[in-house]
Amino acid sequence: MKKLSTGWIVLIAVAAIVFIGVVWGVSTNNRMITAEEGVSSAWAQVENVYQRRMDLIPNLVSTVKGAADFEKGTLEAVIDARSKATSVQVNADDLTEANIAAFQRAQDGLSSALSRLMVTVERYPELKATQNFRDLQAQLEGTENRIAVERNKFNEVVKAYNTMIRKFPNSIIASMGGFEKKGYFKAAEGADKAPEVNFEF
Amino acid sequence: MKKIAIFILSVVIAITTFAAIPKKTNRLVNDYAGLFTPVQLSTLEQYLVAFADTTSTQILIVTTPDLDGYSISDYAFKIGEEWGVGQAEHDNGLVIVIKPKNDTKGQAFIATGYGLEGALPDAVCKEIVDLEMIPYFRDNNYYAGVVAALNIIMPVAAGEYSYNEARYSDLPIATIIIVAMVVFALVLSVSKKGGSDNNNFGGGRGNGGIDPFTALWLGSMVGRNHSGSFGNFSGGSGGFGGFGGGSFGGGGAGGSW
Repeated sequence: MKKLSTGWIVLIAVAAIVFIGVVWGVSTNNRMITAEEGVSSAWAQVENVYQRRMDLIPNLVSTVKGAADFEKGTLEAVIDARSKATSVQVNADDLTEANIAAFQRAQDGLSSALSRLMVTVERYPELKATQNFRDLQAQLEGTENRIAVERNKFNEVVKAYNTMIRKFPNSIIASMGGFEKKGYFKAAEGADKAPEVNFEF
Repeated sequence: MKKIAIFILSVVIAITTFAAIPKKTNRLVNDYAGLFTPVQLSTLEQYLVAFADTTSTQILIVTTPDLDGYSISDYAFKIGEEWGVGQAEHDNGLVIVIKPKNDTKGQAFIATGYGLEGALPDAVCKEIVDLEMIPYFRDNNYYAGVVAALNIIMPVAAGEYSYNEARYSDLPIATIIIVAMVVFALVLSVSKKGGSDNNNFGGGRGNGGIDPFTALWLGSMVGRNHSGSFGNFSGGSGGFGGFGGGSFGGGGAGGSW
């Protein structure tokens, strides 16, 4: 058996290391793509539940408007906040911290306008007693719950993704493949809790 | 430094959050607040296991004296998600959480998995809690309230009837379904004297037509008479095959008293 020269051994070793590196790189890249897709679909769910709330508002506004001389100010605040929130949309491949913060600000504005509206409604017992309004209230509460749940799920998925791309040596592949850190929803000012719509005086 | 502090804080929050939700069990009725008698407990369990076996829809009941700082809705969603109630491919799980009235007000919540949000919309869950559960809960009759709610939830969740049909129909639909399920359980448990009590559950006409007690009483009779053989129908002591990995998205509603 012919003995291999040192040069050949080194060459084979280098080739093997490069091969292993490429295989690892490709599989890491693929795992990151999967994780990024997970973030996108979690974001789609978040948008979905926020949209659900948007869709409830015209119905809510027209129901409340029907009540005799309902306070105009709170209603207009809700309509304004809704149109502001509608104008801030974030694309799934652009989930930067700044974008998510802007989205959250607009939506939180709507949340507080809505909870002020619900407080005002307490002063209109006939309105509160209608079946239509009670159904809307249940739907609205349910929507706030869904928003809280989907936001939490989004944050969890983003956390897993961010951890994955920032860990060494994954970070090498991440910077080569252009995987960027994604933003979270902030739980500031108790915003992670659904606004309490059910006031008891 | 700040980052480290935030990290430690989030770990602490994660740990305390994790500790608050009860650990997953292999039962469908988890009575941590001690609201049911042993017979009621085993009757409910068998009832829910039979329902899960026939429809694949899993209904979990958790009672707790204390929500550990959670809102009751969060508590229900977290349990549903972490325990994986319902089948993963259908997300057909449902969680009922009851916090009895003690130092603080009583609360009840029905959480629906993604797959049940259509059959049981939030407004319907709200009505079930307000009209079926709370009237009984006010009298500390927790078992009756749960049974009354299940009598509406089960046929609707099984997709056989709409909410309005189940609730307002003259036909005792829920009773029929429950009887069918009890018969199913009886057949499977190789009954020797099932059916001898037939005349006991023919009642329940007129006002909504639901007569849960005869049916459940029969169920409890089954439990007593055949407790040895009951385990046969799905093997194992509890008889429940385990949670299926269903997911929850915040559907459902609750009420307080």
